[in-house]
Amino acid sequence: MQPLLESYEQAACYDEYAGQNGVPRPHYAGLAATLRAIEWSDLRAREQTVNAVLLQRGVTFTVYADSKGTERIMPFDLIPRIIPGSEWSRLSRGVAQRVRALNAFLTDVYHEQRILREGVIPWELVYSSKFFCREMIDVRLFRNVYIHVSGIDLIRGRDGTYYVLEDNLRSPSGISYVLENRDVLKRSFPKLFENYQPLPVDGYPLRLRAALRASSRNSDDPTIVLLTPGIYNAAYFEHTLLARRMGVELVEGSDLIVHGNVVFMKTTRGLQRVDVIYRRVDDDFLDPLYFRPDSSVGIAGLMNAYRAGNVVIANAVGTGVADDKAVYPHVPAMIRFYLDEEPILENVPTFDCSNERERKHVLLHLEELVVKNTNQSGGYGMLMGPSSTAEERETFHDAICAHPRDFIAQPVIQLSSHPTIAGERLAPRRVDLRPFALYGHEVDVPPAALTRVALTEGSLIVNSSQGGGSKDTWIIEDEG
Amino acid sequence: MLSRVAESLYWMSRNLQRAETLARIVDVAFNRTVDRNVAGRQQTTAMWRSVLSLVGVPGDEAYPGSSRFAVDAFALSTFSREHHSSIVSCIRIARQNAASVRAELSSEAWEAVNALYLFIEKQSPRAVVRAGPSSFLREIRDASIAFGGIVDATITHGEEWNFLQLGRFLERAVMTAAILQTHDETDDSVSEWQRILEMCCASEPFARTLRHSNDPQDALAFVLLHRAFPRSVRYCTVEVDHALHRLSETPLGAFSNEAERVTGRLAAMLDYVRLGEIVDEGAVAFARRLAVRLAEIGSAVEATYFPLVPAA
Repeated sequence: MQPLLESYEQAACYDEYAGQNGVPRPHYAGLAATLRAIEWSDLRAREQTVNAVLLQRGVTFTVYADSKGTERIMPFDLIPRIIPGSEWSRLSRGVAQRVRALNAFLTDVYHEQRILREGVIPWELVYSSKFFCREMIDVRLFRNVYIHVSGIDLIRGRDGTYYVLEDNLRSPSGISYVLENRDVLKRSFPKLFENYQPLPVDGYPLRLRAALRASSRNSDDPTIVLLTPGIYNAAYFEHTLLARRMGVELVEGSDLIVHGNVVFMKTTRGLQRVDVIYRRVDDDFLDPLYFRPDSSVGIAGLMNAYRAGNVVIANAVGTGVADDKAVYPHVPAMIRFYLDEEPILENVPTFDCSNERERKHVLLHLEELVVKNTNQSGGYGMLMGPSSTAEERETFHDAICAHPRDFIAQPVIQLSSHPTIAGERLAPRRVDLRPFALYGHEVDVPPAALTRVALTEGSLIVNSSQGGGSKDTWIIEDEG
Repeated sequence: MLSRVAESLYWMSRNLQRAETLARIVDVAFNRTVDRNVAGRQQTTAMWRSVLSLVGVPGDEAYPGSSRFAVDAFALSTFSREHHSSIVSCIRIARQNAASVRAELSSEAWEAVNALYLFIEKQSPRAVVRAGPSSFLREIRDASIAFGGIVDATITHGEEWNFLQLGRFLERAVMTAAILQTHDETDDSVSEWQRILEMCCASEPFARTLRHSNDPQDALAFVLLHRAFPRSVRYCTVEVDHALHRLSETPLGAFSNEAERVTGRLAAMLDYVRLGEIVDEGAVAFARRLAVRLAEIGSAVEATYFPLVPAA
C-alpha cells in the first residue's frame, strides 16, 4: 500500500493543501487521513467509474476548434478542493460587493453617466468598447438589475491572497459541472466524505429560478424560459440540465415569436406569453433586426418588446461593457464611487495598453507579462510571456501597436496548486475558483463554486477549451 | 408543450419506424435474390429497383444491368448519406431530433437512440456486405422495435407519448401502402405475394390467421384491412385517429381540426370499403390513392400542431 500523499511535492506557489513545511492545513487534515487509508488501485478504479458515468449521462461540451463538433467530457479530478467557511464568507461578500458595483456602473453608463462626467472613468474607454450597446441607452430595467447571473473568477497569489482575475457578466457557464461533480462523487465515492459535510450545491437551480422570478414586473408568477442556441452549442448539456431542474421550457429562437411587442412561445395549444428569458445566447445574436442580420438563433422584434418593458432578458443586453478586460482595472474605483466602500477583493495589477506610458512598459517587458486581447475569452488570444517564442512576442508587439485599446497586460500570477491525480501519483496542479452570483432582490452567492484545474504540469491555463478539468469544491463550516 | 418539441418527437418516431421497415425490406430483397426465389438478372434488377423506389432513390443512380447493381442498390438504400431516407440517414435524423428533446425524453429512451446511432456510425459498408448484411439489418430492426417498448414503459402516456404514437403509426401505414405500390400486377404468383407479406412483416401472422390460403386477395385484404394486424393500413389509421383525439380531447367520431377530419374520413373508408371494390380498382391504384390520403394526414398534422406561425 502506497500512502497517497506521502510523496506529494510542492510547486513554487501557494498550495491549497499544505503549508511550506508539508503539513496539511487544518481543514485538509481529515481528507489527508482518508486518503492515507485508500489504496491507489481503488482510487483509479473509482476514477474510471466516475468518468464512465459522466460520459453515459452525456455531461459533455463541444470543442469548437474541432470541425467535427466532437463531444467530450470535461475531465473530473476526484480530489476535492476544500474552502473553510470563514474564508468563503469573505469571498462571497467580496463577490457580492463587486457585482453590486458593476451593476451600478451599468445603470450609470446607460443613463446619467455620472462616473464618466466626473472623470473617474474615461469616456473613450466606454464608448470604444465593442460591448457598449447604444440601443440600451435610457432603457429602464425593472429594479435596475442588469447582471442577474455572473461568475467571478478568483485566483490566489504566492502568499495565498485572493485576486479577481475576471468578471464574467454575459452568460457564464460551468454550474452544471458543479452540480454533476458533486452528485457523481457522492454516489461513487462516499468514503471521501467521511470527515466532512460540505454545504450542498443542489439548491442552485431553484435559487436561480427565484432570482429570475424576482426580475419580472409583470407578474408574480412569470413564465420563464431558457433560450439556447441549440444542440451544437458547447454548453447545451448545461442548458438542458438547468431547464429540467428549474422546471422551465428550454426554447430555441425559432420557438419564440413577437406580436405587438409581446414575446410568445409556440406551443401545441397556440401561443403562450413569455415574461422572462434566461438567455444563453450572446447579445449579437439576439435580434436580427437590431444586431447581426445573419443570426439564425435570434428572434426578430425581441429588442422592441424588451425596450417596451414587456419581457425581461437575463442577463440584460449590453452587460459586456462592464466585463470588458480594459474596463476591469477600474472596478475598484467603481466600488469606491458607487458604494463608498473599500474593495474586499483585490484586482490583479493591470497595464492598460491604450495608455502610452503603460504601453511602453508592456512592450519592453513582454517576456514577463501575460497579454490578453480584450475582445476574446476562454483562454484564446493570449500571450503567456515567459513561455512564449520570439515570434509570438513579435506578433503581439505589432498587434498592440496597431490596436492598443484591444490589449491589457498583467504580471504572471502563480496560481495556487492543489493535489490532483496525475498519472500514477498525486501532484500539485494549478486551480482557480469561480463563484456564481445571482441578483434577484439582492445579490445571492450560493455555496456552489466551480474549481477548474490545469491538468498539465506547470500550466497556468485552466480553461476547459485548453485542456482544463474540474474538481468538486467543498465549502465547510468552521469548527467550534 | 412547445411545437418544436412535438415536431421533433413526431419526426424522431417516424424516422425510427422508417429505419425499421427499410431494414426489413432490404433484408427481404437480399434473401430472395440469394437463392432461386427470384430467378434471373432481370428479376433481381426489378426487385432492387422496387427497393430503391421505396427508399426514394431515383433508379438511374445505380447502374442497371451491371453485375454490381444489387450491391450498389444495397449501399444506396442502407448507407447513403446524401439520401435523407436511407437507413443510416433516418437513424441520424432520429438521433438529432432526440438530442434536441433530451429534456423531454426519459434517459432510457435517449440512451437507446444514442446507442443505435453509435452502432451504425461504427459500421463500414464493405465489412457489412462481406459478412452478409442480415445480422446488421436485424440489429437495426430490433433496436427500433425495442425503442417502441422503452418509450411505452418509461414515458408518461401524455402529450409527448401521443406525438410519438402519431409518428410511429402514420409511418407504418405509409410504408405498407408504399410496399403495395411496388406490386407487379402482371405477376399474381404466390411468390410475389409472399414478398409483399414479408416486406410488411406479415408473412407469419398471415399464415397463422389464414392457414392454407394461397389467394392473393386474402393477402391484399390482410395488409390493407385487417382489424388486429398492427401494420395493416386500417389498424394504423385507427391508431393515428386515437392519438389525435387524445391530444385534442375531442370525442372519437367528431373532429376539432383538419388532421382529425382527414384521418377520420380515411378510417371510415377503410372500415366500410368492400374488397371487391379494391380489386376492381386494382391493388396498385388503390394503394396509390391511400398514399395520397396518408400524405394529406401528414400535412394536416403539421399544419395543426407545428405551424411556422401559429394563430394567437
